[in-house]
Amino acid sequence: MTAAGASWSPPIPAGRRAGRFDLLFRLIRRPEGAFGVLILATFAALALAPELFVGPLQTAVTAHGTRLSPPSAAFPLGTDELRRDMLNLTVHGARVSMAIGLLATLVTVFIGAVVGIVSGFVGGRVDAVLMRITDFFLVIPTFVLALILTPIIRDLVGSGSTEILGIRMTLIVIVIVIGITSWSSTARIIRSQTLSLKARAFVDRARVIGAGSGHIMRRHILPNVINLIVANAVLVFAGAVLTETTLSFVGLGDPFQPSWGQLLEAARSVGAPGLGAWWYFVPPGVCIVLVVFAFTLVGGALDDLLNPKRRGRG
Amino acid sequence: MSGSYLARRFGSALFTIVLIILVNFILFRALPGSPERVILRGTPNVTPAQLEAARERWGLNDPVFPDQFVAFLGATVSGDLGYSFVARGQTVGQVLGQRIWPTVILFGLGELVAIVLGLALGAYSGWRRGGPVDVVGNGLSLVLYSTPYFLLGMALLLVFATGLRWFPTFGMLTAGADYPDIWARLGDFGAHLVLPLATVGLGLVGQYAIVMRSSIVETLSEDYVTTARGMGLREGRILRHHALPNALLPTVSLIAINLGYVVAGAITVEVVFNWPGLGTLAVEALTARDYPVLQGVFLLLSVSVVLANLVADLVYGVLDPRVRT
Repeated sequence: MTAAGASWSPPIPAGRRAGRFDLLFRLIRRPEGAFGVLILATFAALALAPELFVGPLQTAVTAHGTRLSPPSAAFPLGTDELRRDMLNLTVHGARVSMAIGLLATLVTVFIGAVVGIVSGFVGGRVDAVLMRITDFFLVIPTFVLALILTPIIRDLVGSGSTEILGIRMTLIVIVIVIGITSWSSTARIIRSQTLSLKARAFVDRARVIGAGSGHIMRRHILPNVINLIVANAVLVFAGAVLTETTLSFVGLGDPFQPSWGQLLEAARSVGAPGLGAWWYFVPPGVCIVLVVFAFTLVGGALDDLLNPKRRGRG
Repeated sequence: MSGSYLARRFGSALFTIVLIILVNFILFRALPGSPERVILRGTPNVTPAQLEAARERWGLNDPVFPDQFVAFLGATVSGDLGYSFVARGQTVGQVLGQRIWPTVILFGLGELVAIVLGLALGAYSGWRRGGPVDVVGNGLSLVLYSTPYFLLGMALLLVFATGLRWFPTFGMLTAGADYPDIWARLGDFGAHLVLPLATVGLGLVGQYAIVMRSSIVETLSEDYVTTARGMGLREGRILRHHALPNALLPTVSLIAINLGYVVAGAITVEVVFNWPGLGTLAVEALTARDYPVLQGVFLLLSVSVVLANLVADLVYGVLDPRVRT
């Protein structure tokens, strides 16, 4: 890679010129990519407009079933202990789980990309300090840190009924906590790519014509690591959905905006497995596994297509 | 193993542990309300004199850095983690001590089962790439990898405890049971252990199989394996004596790195089965906002993971001479 620096090489991968949807086509040409994209498209549709499919979110007041009844014609997925329709809750859970997963991914990838690019590009003492912090987050059990951070930050910002983008403050705190605790592997990946880019000639050329460090990082390094960021973001999303589910499961979710994890927590605290009420936890459970599985498949396929280190090996 | 390699590994682990304590130090001060209010929590009608006495007693009038942090560091290292907010009169150390063994037993055994089964499955499916075991095993590993542990636990609970009634549904021992001898007690413990152990094992086996499979596939494409084949060695011998020892190397550090995630799973599995370990303790402390206990759990689990990583690094150094520089 350093040898190639002597001759001019296009800083933007050739793939971009072939059209915006080229990558998607290449992705769905692989069977695992097509399968993953299909599942994700389905859940994205549910998340975007749950009302279209099952009407507004049922509450204890609007529920009209019987308590913990098994699946029937009227309630294809049964009801919970508050007589609510499980199909309704599961479809609305898609919106909460996917929205938190998406926002948490954005925060995570943003922190990881900034730390990675700055650390790799600036180098020296800045790099040493940033990588120390990154290693710290890589090695400690970040979930336990999230467990402590969530209630403390929640107490600090105050709960109340404030909403941002229609998401309650309790869940925004979860987004922030996932972001704070899961950026380290992204930073590592972006840093190593930045290091190899820094040695290439177009960076020197930009510097010679007077570009500042900030400009080079934004206009020359970032466009060249964006592919890597996208591939990584897909895997981060899978992790974010799992973390949100687990945090909700231990009681840090919001009962007023139930995610799949929150439904599972409710099922556990009612004792659904002991009562044989499988319909209470199987639907949200299957959804979580499907989404994480699909993201893992798509992430792996994208990594093969976009990661320069793995390209051509897949 | 060179001295500088050892020194670097130990130094890095020590630094991480100091950072963990620093995080705990900052968190305790980030709690809403001033520290002396947190300490005096639950005490009715606090007078300004009592507040001042508490400030003096706990050194809160000293500069935060370095005086207070050094004091905190010293206290943490000597095992003084403060008092539980909820379990009155009990130190955090005592509370943790009561809950550590169930977790060690459950996760020690779970890791062992998963490592043995996962590595065997991964090695076999990588060796017979494309065969029936590989196709089924790889798919299953990916699905297990995407499944949260607690979901697996709930499913096992539903089928084997509620449905088939083979095993008890919760706890570590039957409540109020009177055991004639130690063996009856052990038997009851064993019956309670099966499902949580199966959950931990199944939850982990997927990741280990995936890692081992890709490692063995990579190793089998190395030149020395081709050479061994060229020399006419039998396939079984090549696998056991040439490929396996080298393929096992990367799994050592990956198992250690994975420990951080295993801890998250540990907490939820314990909650599902009401297993009286550190995970249920963490969730109880979380519900009651018992921050000293929560921080104690964080400290204990983080330091354990850091030390496990250190051990893995040292083992790796012994096994692979190339990293000892």
